[in-house]
Amino acid sequence: MARHKRKKEHTRLRGDSSQHFRILAVMALLGFAAFLPVAVQLYSLMIDQYDYYYQKALRNQTRTTQVTASRGNIYDTNMNLLAVSVGVENIYLDPHELKQSKADMELIGNQLGEILDLDPDWIREQAKDTKMRYKQIAARVNEETAAKIRSFVNEYGISGIHLEPSSQRYYPYGSLAAQVIGFTNASNSGSEGIEAAYNSFLEGTAGRVITTKGNNEMDMPFSYENYVSSQTGCSVVLTLDTTVQACLEKQLEAAIDRYDVQNGAFGLVMNAKTGEILAMATLGSYDPNQYLEIADPDMAKSLEQLKQSYLNSPENSQAYTDGKLAYEQALTDARLSQWRNRVLSDGYEPGSTFKVLTMAAALDSGAIDLNHNFYCAGTEQIPGRSQRLHCWRSTGHGAQQTPQALQNSCNLAFAHIALEMGGDTFYEYIKNFGVLEKTGVDLLGESGGVFFSKDIITNTDKWGTASLTSASFGQTFKLTPLQLVRAISAVVNGGYLMEPYMVSEVLDDKGNTVLKQEPTVIRQVIREETSQVMRQLLESVVTDGTAKNASVAGFSIGGKTGTSEKIDVLDSNGNPTLDKIVSFVGVAPMDDPEYIVLVALDTPSRSTGIYISGGVMAAPTVGAVMADILPYLGVAQHFPEGDVAGKTVIMENLVGLSQKEAEKLLKSQSLTGRFVGDGDTVTGQIPAAGEVVPGGSEVLLYLGEETPDNMVTVPDFSGMNRQKASDEAGKLGIYILVVGNDQVAPTVTVAAQDIPAGTQVPLGTTIKLTFTDNKAAD
Amino acid sequence: MASQRNLLAKEDRRSGGAGEGVDIPFLTLVLLLLAVGLTMLYSASFAQSEYDTGYTMSTKYLQKQAVCAGLGLVCMYFFSRIPAEFWFRFAWPMYGISILLLLSVLVIGQSVNGARRWINIAGIQFQPSEIAKFTMIVLFARLTKSYGNDARKFRYGVLGFGAALLGILVPLALEKHLSAIMLIGMVAVVMMFVAGTSPKWLLAGAGAAALFVLIYITFMGYAGDRVTAWLNPEADPGDTGYQILQSLYAIGSGGLFGLGLGKSRQKYLYLPFQYNDYIFAVICEELGLVGALMIIALFAATILRGYWVALRARDRFSTVLAAGLVTLIAVQTVLNLAVVTNLLPSTGIALPFFSYGGTALAVNLGEMGVVLSISRYRNETKKQEEIL
Repeated sequence: MARHKRKKEHTRLRGDSSQHFRILAVMALLGFAAFLPVAVQLYSLMIDQYDYYYQKALRNQTRTTQVTASRGNIYDTNMNLLAVSVGVENIYLDPHELKQSKADMELIGNQLGEILDLDPDWIREQAKDTKMRYKQIAARVNEETAAKIRSFVNEYGISGIHLEPSSQRYYPYGSLAAQVIGFTNASNSGSEGIEAAYNSFLEGTAGRVITTKGNNEMDMPFSYENYVSSQTGCSVVLTLDTTVQACLEKQLEAAIDRYDVQNGAFGLVMNAKTGEILAMATLGSYDPNQYLEIADPDMAKSLEQLKQSYLNSPENSQAYTDGKLAYEQALTDARLSQWRNRVLSDGYEPGSTFKVLTMAAALDSGAIDLNHNFYCAGTEQIPGRSQRLHCWRSTGHGAQQTPQALQNSCNLAFAHIALEMGGDTFYEYIKNFGVLEKTGVDLLGESGGVFFSKDIITNTDKWGTASLTSASFGQTFKLTPLQLVRAISAVVNGGYLMEPYMVSEVLDDKGNTVLKQEPTVIRQVIREETSQVMRQLLESVVTDGTAKNASVAGFSIGGKTGTSEKIDVLDSNGNPTLDKIVSFVGVAPMDDPEYIVLVALDTPSRSTGIYISGGVMAAPTVGAVMADILPYLGVAQHFPEGDVAGKTVIMENLVGLSQKEAEKLLKSQSLTGRFVGDGDTVTGQIPAAGEVVPGGSEVLLYLGEETPDNMVTVPDFSGMNRQKASDEAGKLGIYILVVGNDQVAPTVTVAAQDIPAGTQVPLGTTIKLTFTDNKAAD
Repeated sequence: MASQRNLLAKEDRRSGGAGEGVDIPFLTLVLLLLAVGLTMLYSASFAQSEYDTGYTMSTKYLQKQAVCAGLGLVCMYFFSRIPAEFWFRFAWPMYGISILLLLSVLVIGQSVNGARRWINIAGIQFQPSEIAKFTMIVLFARLTKSYGNDARKFRYGVLGFGAALLGILVPLALEKHLSAIMLIGMVAVVMMFVAGTSPKWLLAGAGAAALFVLIYITFMGYAGDRVTAWLNPEADPGDTGYQILQSLYAIGSGGLFGLGLGKSRQKYLYLPFQYNDYIFAVICEELGLVGALMIIALFAATILRGYWVALRARDRFSTVLAAGLVTLIAVQTVLNLAVVTNLLPSTGIALPFFSYGGTALAVNLGEMGVVLSISRYRNETKKQEEIL
């Protein structure tokens, strides 16, 4: 049976044997052979070329996202924050994604428009280019706004609206020290001031996230990710003191107002011993929070006029194009101008302030001594000068010795000093005072000034003496305010030329010190003894010379005035405009100078009627700065015995004391009392406890009588002399505190009062009056 | 008349009891392919599904495919119980209906991805070309049986088969359905070879077809681009070379063991058609060379077992029918793998049991049902020899 069956099967197979053979061939081909090339190809792709394709695929799938490092802070010397980065977010649309998700653009436009205060149509316009994956619609919005957008996106489940973290630089003090601090540009990189100079420290190191993303930029659940963390930027601690800076700016501002200063003002407060800069101001300034806005209202107005005038011309017309160009140029100039730190970037003619250096050089070199005799007839033919030389005081200063030459700021005397010294010595000292070199301050944009070549100063046989003599009193050349202040510091600090600096320390994000600046002595320029003599001479300029307006009661102040004509500024006819820069460099305290203050006012207006000179305008401004900052900086006040006028006393509470006890207490405070009524104990007092009163004042004490509490109106003291002001105040029952020039002379009058006229104040209030001598020259 | 009577006799007997049952290894292999195929389809499609549905659903493609798989399994079971005589009997009518359906596509067809290949009957959307492939194979099996040894003659082996083939190819050509033409043509050539058509004619035919393809490519810019992209994919990585390059990145980055099941990165919208024609690239990326070769082995085993069933079939018609159906699966598989690995220029042929596509899956499973039915009735030799 079995045999039969096999035979049968055999037969069948044999019958179809050729077909079976062909099927076997197909089997071998399609069931085996055909897969071989595929297997070989797979081996080649997946094993041999694995690295190649793996890298290709990875490059295909990965996205590198920059993680911006957060920028370091800027602090003042007391760790007050001057610049800080705050987290904000950029809002952008993904038009492609919006289209894919069929988002309701009507709703999105309206809602986003409302939240971001943007035109809904504009937003919809941004979403039109659906090939784009990134269209920023708002930059640097705050967290509150970002939260609103987030909740809107979540509420409606919209895909295609995204937020990305960014940061915004914030300057808490606004325009204070704006040119020093600078600002960061749109890409968070420092572009002016400390922000630029220390950008490499502040910016930190950006990190990055490398991650695989789907082709629609969505995350994958299983992804390759590599994270390089960002390094927070270092913080920078300045030597600048915001209190000092604010005092300086306030007084510059006041001076600009008072003297109608046309081209702004600049000032500098430096530590004369170390070179630390405590304040550095250029006005008009700007707000670094809105650095593109023109801060000066007049300039902004004239720019707006320029803009309107070209906008009124027909578009595409020549007038339109030219007008637009002119406007843009003017806008750029105005921006650059308000960003400019004139204290170190711009040279100016120092005028008489420079005489300090000439005198120091002459004394140090022994060319003259303190008893040298000069005679000023107002005008003189100097050998080697083609034109007669005029002193600023045409009637002349008469016979003078060395101290008077400086006190009077006599040009003729200084011409002779320079001639005595000789060009070589003068040039050598000027060079050593750093006038020919940059100071090396750690800020960007410093300029080095413009001085004569050595040959012109020294080779008087060939070039004559005009340049040497003009240079001796600070004319016909330029140096920067910083160069001058540094040189005068060397004159008063014992002779040491310092390297000025603005940054005391750089700290990393954990507070470790990365860089610490120490005072750097460049060289000794004059001897200690010369410096000591110069200190006395400079103090005498304030006590007896042109700078009496700079005096501050209780402090020994020295300095030198300066008034220089801007000979290179010409009007439209090519004639000199006679515009002037008035300046004063003050030093205090004179027994051991610590602080040096420069104030310069560019082009005070002739229309105020005030005599334009450093002595009248800049000296009291420096005095006011000194009066504010010296007590704050802890400089001790010294009043000569009996001289209490400028001293202030804080009123004690005398109520409840007996008449005797009250008198005793008042005496200890150099005050006197007038008693009203016939009781035994004090029941009321004017001024009230805690009020500040000038030393030596008489206060009112009530013994049982009712204490009056009426108000009085502050009068306008301006122009009154000391006696008149005192009488006026006495009549009203208020006190005056004398500030500035404390000489009693008819020409010394009130220039400013701290409480404006017309203000209602209680009886016994103290008004601070700033007196200046309006005849003080130079 | 005689054959009709015997068919009826056979049907009588079938009601009395089935044969020995289907070929379990083949069934197992098919079900295994289906299971692995569905798993990989889910893995390859979920990213696209999430994207399409706005990140609310990952199973959009899996769900449709699973429904069609269920439908296909029902077909497979049903067809596995239909004896081969049924197909023998209705070979011509089915062929006619197929041609009508193909022609009707030209009139009432629906466009998908720019090609008009679909028709909608009673709410079911399907490609008549899938039906045409099957009916062509059935007809060729019947012709093979009818011609017998005459198939060696030019008149039968070339003209006979060729005329039948043209009936299907002409409407497909009008549809510009290149991939179906290629597939059907290749299956036809294999079946003619099995039937006994002289290899020299087949070689000549293949040569003529190659020549035609060459001319077609030369004069049709569209297809010409495909060839350029095939020869040098990196020449235009952003456009014509994009598809194949993305496929190669996926395959190459798989390495020996792959990134792990579900962890393909290329499927995140980099690789187009990652869930249908190019699903094998995702498989390579996720499962590596090892996994890819295992899946190829699974296909090969299924194909070999399918031919084994054909060899063991009870009669000539069944043998050729089974061989034809297995060839259909084999050619599709090989062509798809060759395209995905850039051995051949892109053609648009899906991977059976894996690629997304409901009609194709259901039809493929149905066809496997026919093969199973042939395995079920293989030992009913006596009667068959009388019939066939």
